[in-house]
Amino acid sequence: MQYLIQLLISGLAIGAIYGLIAMGFAVIYKSTGLVNFAQGEMTMITAYIAWTISTTVSGNVFVVALGAILAAVLLGLIIERLVMRPMLGEPVFATVMVTIGLAVILRSAINFIWDAYPHGLDIGMGRGIVHVGGIGVRTGQIAVIVTLLALLAAIWAFFRYSKVGVAMRAVAADDRTALLMGISATRVHALAWAASSVIAGIGGVFFALSYDLSPAMFQLGLKAFPATILGGLDAVLGSGIGGLLIGITENLAGGYLGSGMKEVAGFAMIIVVLMVRPFGIFGERDIERV
Amino acid sequence: MRTGDYKQTYGELVALIDSPPVWLWSTVLLLALIAAPFVLNSYALSFVMIILITVTGALGLNILTGYTGLISLGHVGFLVTGAYAYAVLVSKYHMPPLVGFLGAGLVPALASLIVGAPSLRLKGLYLAITTLAFSFIINTVILEMRWLTNGARGIQMPRPEILGISFDSDPAFTYLCLAVASLTLFATLNIRRSRVGRAFVAIRDNDTAARVMGINLHAYKLFAFVTSAFITGIAGALYGIYLSFVSVEGFPFLLSIEALAILIVGGLGSALGAVLGTILIVLLPEATRIVFSLFSAQMDATFTTGAQELKSMLYGLVIILFLRFQPRGLVGAWHDIKRAWVHWPLRY
Repeated sequence: MQYLIQLLISGLAIGAIYGLIAMGFAVIYKSTGLVNFAQGEMTMITAYIAWTISTTVSGNVFVVALGAILAAVLLGLIIERLVMRPMLGEPVFATVMVTIGLAVILRSAINFIWDAYPHGLDIGMGRGIVHVGGIGVRTGQIAVIVTLLALLAAIWAFFRYSKVGVAMRAVAADDRTALLMGISATRVHALAWAASSVIAGIGGVFFALSYDLSPAMFQLGLKAFPATILGGLDAVLGSGIGGLLIGITENLAGGYLGSGMKEVAGFAMIIVVLMVRPFGIFGERDIERV
Repeated sequence: MRTGDYKQTYGELVALIDSPPVWLWSTVLLLALIAAPFVLNSYALSFVMIILITVTGALGLNILTGYTGLISLGHVGFLVTGAYAYAVLVSKYHMPPLVGFLGAGLVPALASLIVGAPSLRLKGLYLAITTLAFSFIINTVILEMRWLTNGARGIQMPRPEILGISFDSDPAFTYLCLAVASLTLFATLNIRRSRVGRAFVAIRDNDTAARVMGINLHAYKLFAFVTSAFITGIAGALYGIYLSFVSVEGFPFLLSIEALAILIVGGLGSALGAVLGTILIVLLPEATRIVFSLFSAQMDATFTTGAQELKSMLYGLVIILFLRFQPRGLVGAWHDIKRAWVHWPLRY
């Protein structure tokens, strides 16, 4: 029983990280209609920048957090402006292939800018252990779950009540009509890339906090992929919850079926989801069977 | 000189080779490739082998991505299953190599049936997602099935001896690769001009219209996927024999990206494009290395230490630049040049 609870808690913690990155996928898919295969790499770069700030400027939590968020915004805007904007109006195949090309470039850029060795992100917190009912939990793990829940609430409110959020939903629903209503689709796209970069970047920094930074971190993007498929590619909140589910499934599979199963549990789940409910648990049913 | 296309029958429209100059150049190329092992040193010959093997794989992916318009991010999964199928059959159970090659095609084809059947019912990027998942699952499966695959230790793959002919030496193995690559080229060209190939292209261009014309989309997409996996598996077996050793590490995920880069650079949906793209992509890292080493020895050193990273960076850049500036690839560029040459100084 103790073992099960332990697995569930660490599953929730890693699942929250997947959830954050999956929300990054969903934000971009919802407003631009394309799957960003470079999400994991963007996450990784934000985490590395956070690490650089913590080692060179200051290890203060607020400095690192602020710096990482600013860097993530910039990264998202630059990628949108330089790489994605020129592809506007091209077929989906071309734009998706561009994100794949981008992913490969960013991944190897890490090895050149930083190095191939693992690093620990130390900002003086997150690695302490708290005992809750006899089970040791890292403070970083609690923090990431709380952050995910807080962000879920904030994003729900943003899409529901703010003008910008409604504009984003309008562009997602029908970009032409949105254009006629005076919404600038390009700005919405830029905003979506920046937002996605920040949300996923937060997940990346939390990962670096609880585990380690290494060039293999881009695999977080692949792990978060099942989460967004499960939650629904166009469902931002659903993706967050999908992340938690994938994290738990993965940990249970790893704990009871062997470590090999842990690696593939998420991917096996993708195939099941696509067979049973291809639009995800919370996604909108607009699947075309052609 | 050709003064125009004079085609009077349907047979001429779908002919494999439509003019004497194309015959001539194809023969010249074939003779050059046959002469290559006698002329080139072993370093250059290794590039010829790699190009021939890669062409086979790229042509396989071309059936799926080029003709039918479906993206697969996991073709490396079929490469590795093909290589393992051959290694297990030949090295472990001592079957004849021809049976090994057949297995190297059939096992990935079976795997593709399992992956493709659920995901091809849907439109859009779902195949890209499931194939991506497949390529990771298959690695774990191979590592877990130790009794069959030796797990992480891998299996030795000696050069084969087929029908009494030994393909042990480099020139002989080059001929084997050449034979397989040419056969694949003929096979895919013939698929393209048959009823099935036209159905593939119809699905790519407009699936609703294709459906209205009575094409069974699910069946044809699945057929394209299975054929593609079959050919890729055989390329995988050849690649494994070239490496003389098969293990999961020998087939990194980058190979999937490389294959897509080849198709984009060459020009999607064209067999000639797949060949041109392969030549460019395989030689690109080497060419870049030579250019950089002209500048300084230090840059050359960076190249040897970070070879894998630079290679992937180049592939990424090439994909993005071609999609942005020359979406029809090298084949498109060649057509533009030909047109400009004929019509100059007029625009068209």
